[in-house]
This record gives sequence, C-alpha cells and structure tokens, in this order.
Amino acid sequence: MNLLSTVARRLLQLVGVMAGVAVVTFLLTRLAPGDPARLLAGERASAETIAAIRHQYGLDLPLWQQFFVYIENLLGGDIGRSLRFQQPVAELIVRFMWPTLFLTGYVVCLAVPPTVILAIASARRPGGLADQAIRMIGIVGLAIPVFWLGIMMSRLFGVTLGWFPVSGYGTGFADHLYHLFLPALSTAIWVVPVLTQSLRAALIDRSGADFVTAARAQGASEREIFWKTVLPNAVLPTLNLLGVMVAFLIGGAIIVETVYAVPGLGSLMIGALLGRDYYVVQGLTLVFAFATVLVTLAVDLLTALIDPRVRL
Amino acid sequence: MMNSIGRLRFGAALLGIGAASPAWAADVIRIVSPYQTTTLDPMRSAAAGNIETYGQLYSRLLRRNAETGALEPGLAEKWDISADGLTYTFHLREAQFSDGSPITADDVVFSLERIHSDKKSAYPAPLGALDTISAADARTVVVKLKSPFAPFLGNLEIWNMGIVSKADVDKRGEDAFVKAPLTSGPYAVKEWKPNEKLVLEPNGHYWRQGYPKSDATVELMEIASPETRQAMITAGEVDVMRAVPWAQIDALKKIDTIDMRLEPSTTIYMTLLSEKREPFSNMKARQAAAYAIDNKAMTKAVTRGYATPANTTLPGSIEFHDNDYPGIPYDPAKAKELLAESGMAGKEVKILATADAAAQQMALLLQAQWQAIGFKPVIVNVDGGAWWDATGKGDYDAAANWWYNETPDPDLAVRWAVCGSCGSNSYNTFYENPKVDELVEQGTKEADPAKRAAIYKEIQKITTEEVAQIPLYYAPNAVAYSKRLQGIKLTPSLQWTLEDTTIAK
Repeated sequence: MNLLSTVARRLLQLVGVMAGVAVVTFLLTRLAPGDPARLLAGERASAETIAAIRHQYGLDLPLWQQFFVYIENLLGGDIGRSLRFQQPVAELIVRFMWPTLFLTGYVVCLAVPPTVILAIASARRPGGLADQAIRMIGIVGLAIPVFWLGIMMSRLFGVTLGWFPVSGYGTGFADHLYHLFLPALSTAIWVVPVLTQSLRAALIDRSGADFVTAARAQGASEREIFWKTVLPNAVLPTLNLLGVMVAFLIGGAIIVETVYAVPGLGSLMIGALLGRDYYVVQGLTLVFAFATVLVTLAVDLLTALIDPRVRL
Repeated sequence: MMNSIGRLRFGAALLGIGAASPAWAADVIRIVSPYQTTTLDPMRSAAAGNIETYGQLYSRLLRRNAETGALEPGLAEKWDISADGLTYTFHLREAQFSDGSPITADDVVFSLERIHSDKKSAYPAPLGALDTISAADARTVVVKLKSPFAPFLGNLEIWNMGIVSKADVDKRGEDAFVKAPLTSGPYAVKEWKPNEKLVLEPNGHYWRQGYPKSDATVELMEIASPETRQAMITAGEVDVMRAVPWAQIDALKKIDTIDMRLEPSTTIYMTLLSEKREPFSNMKARQAAAYAIDNKAMTKAVTRGYATPANTTLPGSIEFHDNDYPGIPYDPAKAKELLAESGMAGKEVKILATADAAAQQMALLLQAQWQAIGFKPVIVNVDGGAWWDATGKGDYDAAANWWYNETPDPDLAVRWAVCGSCGSNSYNTFYENPKVDELVEQGTKEADPAKRAAIYKEIQKITTEEVAQIPLYYAPNAVAYSKRLQGIKLTPSLQWTLEDTTIAK
C-alpha cells in the first residue's frame, strides 16, 4: 500500500518537475544571444532571408505566444521538430539515447565491483595501510579531469598501442562493449573513488551501531554480522549516491562523449546548444529531468526492498 | 591495413569478446570534419559543412576541373552568349536524377529560380544580375541578365547552384530534402544521421560515365573536438581529417601512413572593426589599430609559419589580387601618432573571441598590441551563436575571424567584405564608401580583364588604406589524408574530389 503511495507521490512530483524544467529551459534558450536562423542559413544569408526563416518557424512571434504554442504541443505529446534538421526531436533523442544508456550501464558494471571490494578492504582496518593506499589512489582518480584522462587514454590505448578504438559506438552488443570500453573506464575512474568513500564511511559507521553489538551479543559470527547486518545497512546511502550519479551520467556524459566521439545524448546536446536548436535543447532537458526522477524512484523502490523500515 | 585489423583483433581478444568484425570489411571512405551537415537542400544554407555536402549530391550547369581549376561543361553540354552579353543559352546534356528520371530544362529553371527569388534562399547574391530564366524546350534554358555580368558563368558553378528535381520538390515539399533526396551529383544519400554523420553511396545514374571511380560508400562524419579527430586518423579509423589545427600539423607530418597537406584556398583571416560606434567609427583610430599590428609576427605565432601574411582586404589567391601592394606596415610610433590625432586614446575596445585555439590566440595578440599603443582592449568570450548575434548588430569593436571566396572571381568577395550597399554591411563592419560601391558595380560590367584588374586594384587600395578590416593572413586548407586514398583533395571552393578518388588495395 505504502509502496503504491510512494510511486503516486513521485509521479505527482514528476509533473511539477517537468513543468518547472519546461519553463526554465524555454526562457534560458530564448534569452541567450544567438539566432538559430542565422546559424542554419550561414553567414552570407541576408537579413530578409533570416526574417523569412524566423517567420516560417514561428520565431518572430512574441515570447509568450511561442511559449503557449510550445506548452500546447507538449501537452499533446509533441516535443517539436529540430530547427536544424527538420526531423522530430523525439526521433533524434531516441536515436542518440541508446549509446548513452549503454555507456551508463557499462560504467555502473565497471564501477560497482571494485567499489565494494575497495570499500570493504578500507573499512576492515580504518587508517591501516590498505585504507591509506586506497584513499591516496582515490584522490588521484578524483583529481584527474575526465577530459584529460580521456585524451591520454585514447592516445595510449587507442593510438599508440592500438588495443581499443578511439571513437564511435560500433554495431552489435560485443562491438558496443569494445568501442565503449575506454569511455566507460575513463568515467569509472572518477566514479569509483566517490562511491568507495561513501561506502567505506557507512561501513565503519554501521559496524559500531547498536544493532551490531546486539547481534554480537546474540552470538552471531563476525562473518555473519558483516554480510547480514553491516553491509545491507551500509549499502543504502551509497545506493542513493549511485542513483544520483547515474542520473548525472545520463545527462552529463558530455565530456566523455565528446572526447571519444560517442553519438550519445551529450553530443546531441552540445550540437543543439551551439546551433541554438531550441526544441532539441528543451526536449533533452525534459528527458534528463524525467530520467532523474525515474532513477530516484527506482532507487527508492530498491531501498524499500533492502530495508523494510522504509516501507513502513 | 592488416595492421589495424590485427590491432582490432588483439583489443577484442583482450576483452574476451571474440573477433569483432574488422572496420574495413567493406570499402568505406571516412571523412571527419568539425562542420555539420544541417540540411540537404542546396538553397537553404551557406554554412560550412553543408557547402561540402552539396557538391557530392548535386550537379550544376558548369563544373570546375579539379586539376586545372578551369570551368568545364557540367549539366550544360554547351552554351551560347549573345553579343551584348545579356542572353545566355544553355544546351543541356542527357542526364538523369538518382531515380533514373530525366533532368530537364524545367528542373534547371526551377532550381535556379528558387535560389534567385525564394525568400528562404540563403545566398541569392551570385544570381544578382539575373532578370529572367525560362525553358525554350526540354533541353534548352535561356537566361536573360539585367546588365552584362562578367563572372556569371563562374557563379553558376557555386555550391548552391545544384540542380534539384522539380517534380520531387513539388510533391514532397521540404521533406524532399529530409529523407533520401533525389540527387543529380556523383552520390546519393544512403543514410542521414543528423548531428553524427551522412552516409553516401555512388549515384548509379550520374551523368559522368565511370564516376565515381570507386564504388566505396562515403561517410561524412562530424566530430567537434580536434584532439578526437587527430586520434581517429592516427589510429586509422578515418581516412581524411578536415581542419587540422596548426599545432597538430607537425605531429601528423611524422606519421608514415598519413599525407598531411596544406592545400591552396581562398581563405583570409582578418579582424573586423565595428564602425557603428567609437573608437572605430573614426578612420584614424582604425588606421592606428592597423599600424599597431605586426601581422608577420602574428602569422608566425598563430599558424607556425604555415600561412602567408595578408597585404590587402581580399583573399590572396583570387583573380586580380594585388600582390604588389605593400599593405600597412607595422609601425607603432605612427600608430600612436594617429591615435593621438583621432582623440580615441584610452577608449575601450571590446574584442570578441570564440573558443577555438586560433581565435583565442588572435584575440590575445590583438589585445597586447593595441594595449601597447594606448587603447584599453578587453576580450569577451562568446560562442558562435552569440558572435553572429553581436557582429550582426555592430555590438562589438573588434572580432578576428575568417571568410573565403567560393569562386576565383573577386566579385562575390568584394560584395561580401567591403561593399556597404550590397546587403552584407561590409561583413558586419558597417564600412561604407560610395566610391567603392560604384567600383564594385563597374567591376562586374567590365569584360576586359586588364580594366577589371585596375578596378579591383583600386578597391583593394582604398579599403586597405581606409581599414575596412585589418587583413591578417592567407591560410591554406590544412587537411590530413590516409595514403591509401588517391585522387582526393579539397578544392579552394571547399569541394571534395570524391568522384575522382580511388582506394589503393
């Protein structure tokens, strides 16, 4: 029953979030200097040509009227056509979505196992040699900017050694894994330390909790305590953090997609922003907002599954 | 190529996913460029990216020989010009669109008419002298001009003059150019993935028998980051890299499998000065700014010596360029003198700069040199959209950029860069000199090359002295090619010679 009400509450939130995002992105795109018609027609086009194009796409209407039309279409399920390509925005987004989702899933698969191993190794003896070493390496991983790491890895493993391709998405599942390995690895190197620190802190915190002492008093073995009591309790905050990161990756894989020329949502977003392709930018931000709400909902449901208290 | 297949296998084995299919299984020519294809309609855009694409998709009445640069018959087999230079009669050859339907005089009239008078035509200027155009019969087109116009034949060869199918555009409207347009050029569209790539396949109905020479498909890929483009060509994932940054040329020259070329172009780098407001509405202030620039040192610093310092406001390789004109020398003492006379000393100069390396370097060097003579220059960083917005309104003081001329003839160049009454606001500088505008008109009506040379010499002298813009350097097109390709190049009109390209086995 409560689970249902969580879902219902979230869906209601979703409507509010989407409405807010729609208004803000509409205003931001329109108020930024730059004219999609000029960028489309090119520098040599005359002022009359630009005016004709603006008229054709309704860009010459007053702002409130444009907004009204946009919202009306949105309610009808139409997020518009790309000003640059004359193709439906939804079609573009769907085409560019798969590489990004694949990449995000790939990053999670690459990041979670080392996170768990490293966090447990660190938390076993806080302040010990392993803990210090893992923290040092983690700081290095965090401190290296993704774009630099990306370029260096593509130079080394792609160009010099030739082990991996430096661009693209490939065709077929195995080929996707092969093409996206370097992008996923460059991202994971930054994700793992963050998650490790969170999980480590939670593990240390939970191992001193009352319920652990209680379990110990009841005669449970240390092994049992760790796997059945400490770890499940410690995983929750990290799971939430992972959720935030996944949402961020879906909308924020811009840098790594640019460096490795992955045809994903990030590269679509960059192109749309530079080309002032209003409806594509607006459509993408809506999708990102939607994804964020959806991921958080999924995390909440997972949390409820792991921790019965949340269900109460 | 064995090498790269071997590498692929090794990488695949590392991941334990068995043999990935080698990328070179089918013949594909991959070209990677930062410039996007945003429309397949030759009338709709004059932006880099689209220009390159149009040449592969649409034939024009005339074509330019890729070797000699001479004009040759294209869809028009031959033509007659009346004695008064006002009537051109074109006789079309037997040719077909990519679906096998014939290319008729109606298609030619329709295509040129829409470039000339459709409101959404991005670049009608080359047909400015056109009065009427009509089909005398199915294979004859008659064009009447308002006045004699020397560069007319050359203008019919420009990238937006491609012939499209009237029947198809009538039937499908704008959609005719969104999915699988009917083409008249060497290639047809296999698949268009906007924002990613355009895949072309040879057009089986192309009028030039035996072309394209290779049956390979062509992928025009769009990659913004120069580092990524460089990695792709170095790793052998693509065959051609357009727009190689100056800083990467030496590294690419060292690679055995790559032919790093600096190809002739009509590109000029210069800085715009807005005459809409102080300080540069004042001619002496503009001259002071020009004398303050050491453009030889600047060329060397920015392009590492791969470009030639510019001496006039027009591109160095176009016809009638005045090679002997001394240009404005670097003379900081004279610059200070002129600045004092202008009364603009200490004025703020807003320099617009986009994010790419060359633009940033030019902005920094301009700032330093103008600071030295007593201006107060500040750099304002913008993206392309904001750049065009600001320059279009004259809401800036200086902005370094490049432009190129699509034909060897200087008419379109002067109309674009220094003519105040031609609709371009002298490339957003708002420079206007009625004497220059008059010379621009004379230049096209005059048929005698010697007299035309004198006219364009005069235009270059006036506009350089009055500093319509500050010329910086003439840059070649820096393009890297895989050595397995033969016969490919980027012409000065920014067209790939893909139909002449073969792949070495």
